[in-house]
Amino acid sequence: MATATPSRLVPAAALTAALALAGCGGAARPRSAASPFAWLRPAAAPSSWNVGRLPSGAASFAYPPGWHSIRTDPGTFSAALTGPGHRIRGYLNETPQSGDETLANWGTFRVAHNREEGDRQVVRESTAAGVRFRSGVGSCVTDRYATTTGAHYREIACIVRGARGTTVIVAAAPPSDWSRLAPQLRRSVASFA
Amino acid sequence: MIVRLVVACALTLGSLAPLSGAVASASPGHATAHAAKHHKKRHHHKRHHGIPQHNGGDHDADNNGGPSDGDGNT
Repeated sequence: MATATPSRLVPAAALTAALALAGCGGAARPRSAASPFAWLRPAAAPSSWNVGRLPSGAASFAYPPGWHSIRTDPGTFSAALTGPGHRIRGYLNETPQSGDETLANWGTFRVAHNREEGDRQVVRESTAAGVRFRSGVGSCVTDRYATTTGAHYREIACIVRGARGTTVIVAAAPPSDWSRLAPQLRRSVASFA
Repeated sequence: MIVRLVVACALTLGSLAPLSGAVASASPGHATAHAAKHHKKRHHHKRHHGIPQHNGGDHDADNNGGPSDGDGNT
Protein backbone atom coordinates (compact mmCIF):
# COMPACT_ATOMS: atom_id res chain seq x y z
CA MET A 1 0.00 0.00 0.00
CA ALA A 2 1.38 3.40 -0.90
CA THR A 3 1.76 5.88 1.93
CA ALA A 4 1.49 9.64 1.41
CA THR A 5 4.38 11.69 2.73
CA PRO A 6 3.79 15.02 4.50
CA SER A 7 5.17 16.90 1.50
CA ARG A 8 2.47 15.34 -0.68
CA LEU A 9 -0.30 15.77 1.86
CA VAL A 10 -0.04 19.56 2.11
CA PRO A 11 -0.63 20.29 -1.60
CA ALA A 12 -3.35 17.65 -1.70
CA ALA A 13 -5.17 19.21 1.22
CA ALA A 14 -4.86 22.68 -0.31
CA LEU A 15 -6.18 21.41 -3.63
CA THR A 16 -9.10 19.68 -1.98
CA ALA A 17 -10.04 22.82 -0.05
CA ALA A 18 -9.78 24.94 -3.18
CA LEU A 19 -11.97 22.55 -5.13
CA ALA A 20 -14.50 22.49 -2.33
CA LEU A 21 -14.75 26.27 -2.20
CA ALA A 22 -14.76 26.76 -5.95
CA GLY A 23 -16.84 23.91 -7.20
CA CYS A 24 -18.80 22.20 -4.46
CA GLY A 25 -21.72 24.54 -4.01
CA GLY A 26 -20.10 27.90 -3.46
CA ALA A 27 -19.69 27.72 0.29
CA ALA A 28 -17.66 30.92 0.21
CA ARG A 29 -20.31 32.99 -1.52
CA PRO A 30 -21.17 36.28 0.19
CA ARG A 31 -24.21 35.88 2.45
CA SER A 32 -26.14 38.69 0.81
CA ALA A 33 -26.11 36.92 -2.54
CA ALA A 34 -27.51 33.71 -1.13
CA SER A 35 -29.83 34.90 1.64
CA PRO A 36 -33.53 34.31 1.05
CA PHE A 37 -34.13 37.21 3.44
CA ALA A 38 -32.15 39.83 1.55
CA TRP A 39 -35.43 41.73 1.22
CA LEU A 40 -35.48 42.35 4.99
CA ARG A 41 -34.16 45.84 5.50
CA PRO A 42 -35.04 46.99 9.02
CA ALA A 43 -37.02 50.22 8.85
CA ALA A 44 -39.95 52.00 10.42
CA ALA A 45 -43.21 51.67 8.52
CA PRO A 46 -45.12 54.66 7.08
CA SER A 47 -46.78 56.87 9.67
CA SER A 48 -50.20 55.89 8.34
CA TRP A 49 -49.69 52.32 9.56
CA ASN A 50 -50.89 51.21 12.99
CA VAL A 51 -48.56 49.81 15.60
CA GLY A 52 -49.27 46.59 17.47
CA ARG A 53 -47.41 46.13 20.73
CA LEU A 54 -47.05 43.19 23.05
CA PRO A 55 -48.94 43.82 26.31
CA SER A 56 -45.55 43.76 28.04
CA GLY A 57 -44.30 46.49 25.73
CA ALA A 58 -41.27 44.39 24.87
CA ALA A 59 -41.82 44.37 21.10
CA SER A 60 -43.95 45.88 18.35
CA PHE A 61 -44.58 45.85 14.62
CA ALA A 62 -46.52 48.05 12.26
CA TYR A 63 -49.49 46.81 10.25
CA PRO A 64 -51.17 48.40 7.26
CA PRO A 65 -54.37 50.44 7.17
CA GLY A 66 -57.35 48.16 6.61
CA TRP A 67 -55.94 45.48 8.87
CA HIS A 68 -57.29 45.13 12.41
CA SER A 69 -56.28 43.53 15.69
CA ILE A 70 -57.89 40.16 16.37
CA ARG A 71 -58.41 37.88 19.32
CA THR A 72 -55.14 36.29 20.28
CA ASP A 73 -53.42 34.36 23.06
CA PRO A 74 -52.78 36.21 26.32
CA GLY A 75 -49.54 38.15 26.24
CA THR A 76 -49.44 38.28 22.44
CA PHE A 77 -50.66 40.57 19.67
CA SER A 78 -52.23 39.61 16.33
CA ALA A 79 -53.55 41.62 13.41
CA ALA A 80 -55.33 40.38 10.32
CA LEU A 81 -56.75 41.34 6.98
CA THR A 82 -60.03 39.50 6.79
CA GLY A 83 -62.28 38.70 3.88
CA PRO A 84 -65.85 37.47 3.49
CA GLY A 85 -66.93 35.17 6.31
CA HIS A 86 -64.12 36.49 8.52
CA ARG A 87 -61.69 34.41 6.49
CA ILE A 88 -58.13 35.42 7.31
CA ARG A 89 -56.33 36.60 4.19
CA GLY A 90 -53.36 38.17 5.89
CA TYR A 91 -52.05 37.47 9.38
CA LEU A 92 -49.44 39.02 11.66
CA ASN A 93 -48.57 37.87 15.15
CA GLU A 94 -45.95 38.57 17.78
CA THR A 95 -45.46 36.25 20.73
CA PRO A 96 -42.88 36.22 23.50
CA GLN A 97 -40.57 33.21 23.52
CA SER A 98 -42.70 30.58 25.25
CA GLY A 99 -41.12 27.16 24.78
CA ASP A 100 -37.91 25.57 23.63
CA GLU A 101 -37.56 27.76 20.54
CA THR A 102 -34.21 29.49 20.17
CA LEU A 103 -32.33 31.36 17.48
CA ALA A 104 -30.13 28.30 17.06
CA ASN A 105 -32.89 25.72 16.54
CA TRP A 106 -35.45 27.92 14.82
CA GLY A 107 -34.90 26.48 11.35
CA THR A 108 -36.10 23.08 12.51
CA PHE A 109 -38.21 24.04 15.51
CA ARG A 110 -40.79 26.09 13.62
CA VAL A 111 -41.76 23.49 11.05
CA ALA A 112 -41.73 20.72 13.68
CA HIS A 113 -43.95 22.84 15.90
CA ASN A 114 -46.42 23.47 13.11
CA ARG A 115 -46.66 19.72 12.51
CA GLU A 116 -47.19 19.09 16.22
CA GLU A 117 -50.05 21.57 16.22
CA GLY A 118 -51.81 19.54 13.55
CA ASP A 119 -50.74 21.36 10.39
CA ARG A 120 -50.23 19.09 7.41
CA GLN A 121 -48.13 19.23 4.28
CA VAL A 122 -45.64 21.39 6.14
CA VAL A 123 -42.81 22.29 3.81
CA ARG A 124 -39.87 24.45 4.80
CA GLU A 125 -38.82 26.68 1.93
CA SER A 126 -35.86 28.52 3.40
CA THR A 127 -34.16 29.43 6.63
CA ALA A 128 -31.51 31.91 7.71
CA ALA A 129 -29.62 32.92 10.82
CA GLY A 130 -27.97 36.19 11.69
CA VAL A 131 -30.82 38.27 10.25
CA ARG A 132 -30.75 41.87 11.40
CA PHE A 133 -33.81 43.62 12.82
CA ARG A 134 -34.32 47.12 14.21
CA SER A 135 -34.03 45.87 17.78
CA GLY A 136 -31.66 42.94 17.48
CA VAL A 137 -30.75 39.87 15.52
CA GLY A 138 -32.83 36.87 14.61
CA SER A 139 -33.37 33.64 12.74
CA CYS A 140 -36.06 33.29 10.09
CA VAL A 141 -37.95 30.58 8.23
CA THR A 142 -40.34 30.58 5.33
CA ASP A 143 -42.64 27.60 5.02
CA ARG A 144 -46.08 26.57 3.89
CA TYR A 145 -48.69 24.30 5.39
CA ALA A 146 -52.35 23.31 5.53
CA THR A 147 -54.22 23.83 8.80
CA THR A 148 -56.59 21.39 10.45
CA THR A 149 -59.47 22.93 8.50
CA GLY A 150 -57.69 22.54 5.17
CA ALA A 151 -56.79 26.21 4.79
CA HIS A 152 -53.41 26.70 3.15
CA TYR A 153 -50.94 29.32 4.30
CA ARG A 154 -47.46 30.44 3.53
CA GLU A 155 -45.54 32.17 6.31
CA ILE A 156 -42.48 34.13 7.29
CA ALA A 157 -41.62 33.28 10.89
CA CYS A 158 -38.72 34.86 12.75
CA ILE A 159 -37.42 34.71 16.29
CA VAL A 160 -35.65 37.88 17.33
CA ARG A 161 -33.43 38.47 20.33
CA GLY A 162 -33.55 42.08 21.44
CA ALA A 163 -32.60 44.08 24.49
CA ARG A 164 -36.07 43.62 26.00
CA GLY A 165 -36.46 39.92 25.35
CA THR A 166 -36.79 37.27 22.68
CA THR A 167 -39.91 37.41 20.54
CA VAL A 168 -41.39 35.52 17.61
CA ILE A 169 -43.02 37.36 14.72
CA VAL A 170 -45.16 35.56 12.16
CA ALA A 171 -46.51 36.91 8.88
CA ALA A 172 -48.79 34.64 6.85
CA ALA A 173 -51.17 34.62 3.90
CA PRO A 174 -52.75 32.02 1.64
CA PRO A 175 -50.50 31.11 -1.29
CA SER A 176 -53.14 32.50 -3.65
CA ASP A 177 -52.83 35.95 -2.02
CA TRP A 178 -49.10 35.82 -1.39
CA SER A 179 -47.89 37.80 -4.36
CA ARG A 180 -50.31 40.60 -3.56
CA LEU A 181 -49.78 40.70 0.21
CA ALA A 182 -46.09 39.82 0.48
CA PRO A 183 -44.91 43.44 0.19
CA GLN A 184 -47.08 44.43 3.18
CA LEU A 185 -46.13 41.36 5.19
CA ARG A 186 -42.46 41.98 4.57
CA ARG A 187 -42.77 45.63 5.48
CA SER A 188 -44.39 44.67 8.76
CA VAL A 189 -41.65 42.17 9.55
CA ALA A 190 -39.03 44.77 8.68
CA SER A 191 -40.68 47.21 11.09
CA PHE A 192 -40.44 44.78 13.99
CA ALA A 193 -38.68 46.35 16.96
CA MET B 1 -11.36 9.99 -9.73
CA ILE B 2 -14.78 11.56 -9.89
CA VAL B 3 -15.88 9.50 -6.94
CA ARG B 4 -12.82 10.55 -4.99
CA LEU B 5 -13.40 14.20 -5.86
CA VAL B 6 -17.00 14.08 -4.68
CA VAL B 7 -15.98 12.40 -1.45
CA ALA B 8 -13.23 14.96 -0.92
CA CYS B 9 -15.65 17.81 -1.51
CA ALA B 10 -18.16 16.38 0.93
CA LEU B 11 -15.55 15.78 3.59
CA THR B 12 -14.01 19.20 3.17
CA LEU B 13 -17.31 21.02 3.23
CA GLY B 14 -18.31 19.04 6.27
CA SER B 15 -15.18 20.09 8.05
CA LEU B 16 -15.59 23.72 7.01
CA ALA B 17 -19.26 23.99 8.00
CA PRO B 18 -18.70 24.61 11.71
CA LEU B 19 -16.41 27.49 10.83
CA SER B 20 -19.02 29.43 8.88
CA GLY B 21 -20.86 32.33 10.52
CA ALA B 22 -24.35 33.52 9.66
CA VAL B 23 -25.84 31.17 7.15
CA ALA B 24 -28.84 30.82 4.91
CA SER B 25 -30.17 27.66 3.37
CA ALA B 26 -33.16 26.18 1.60
CA SER B 27 -34.27 22.61 2.15
CA PRO B 28 -37.34 20.41 2.57
CA GLY B 29 -36.61 20.12 6.27
CA HIS B 30 -38.18 16.75 7.01
CA ALA B 31 -35.11 15.07 8.43
CA THR B 32 -34.07 17.97 10.62
CA ALA B 33 -37.60 18.50 11.88
CA HIS B 34 -37.56 14.95 13.23
CA ALA B 35 -34.48 15.78 15.27
CA ALA B 36 -36.13 18.90 16.65
CA LYS B 37 -39.10 16.90 17.88
CA HIS B 38 -36.83 14.67 19.89
CA HIS B 39 -35.00 17.68 21.27
CA LYS B 40 -38.25 19.22 22.36
CA LYS B 41 -39.54 16.09 24.05
CA ARG B 42 -36.36 15.78 26.08
CA HIS B 43 -36.84 19.24 27.54
CA HIS B 44 -40.45 19.46 28.64
CA HIS B 45 -39.33 20.80 32.01
CA LYS B 46 -37.91 23.93 30.38
CA ARG B 47 -41.25 25.21 29.08
CA HIS B 48 -42.73 28.29 30.61
CA HIS B 49 -45.17 31.10 29.84
CA GLY B 50 -47.84 28.52 28.95
CA ILE B 51 -50.23 29.69 26.26
CA PRO B 52 -53.33 27.56 25.70
CA GLN B 53 -53.65 25.74 22.39
CA HIS B 54 -56.33 23.79 20.57
CA ASN B 55 -59.04 26.29 21.43
CA GLY B 56 -57.92 26.29 25.00
CA GLY B 57 -60.31 28.97 26.17
CA ASP B 58 -59.26 31.92 24.07
CA HIS B 59 -60.81 30.83 20.75
CA ASP B 60 -58.16 32.64 18.77
CA ALA B 61 -57.55 32.06 15.08
CA ASP B 62 -54.60 29.77 15.65
CA ASN B 63 -56.82 27.34 17.52
CA ASN B 64 -59.57 27.31 14.94
CA GLY B 65 -57.84 26.41 11.72
CA GLY B 66 -56.31 29.81 11.14
CA PRO B 67 -52.63 30.56 10.57
CA SER B 68 -50.19 29.31 13.18
CA ASP B 69 -49.15 31.91 15.71
CA GLY B 70 -45.73 32.29 17.26
CA ASP B 71 -46.46 30.20 20.32
CA GLY B 72 -43.67 27.72 20.99
CA ASN B 73 -45.79 25.46 23.15
CA THR B 74 -47.53 22.41 21.78
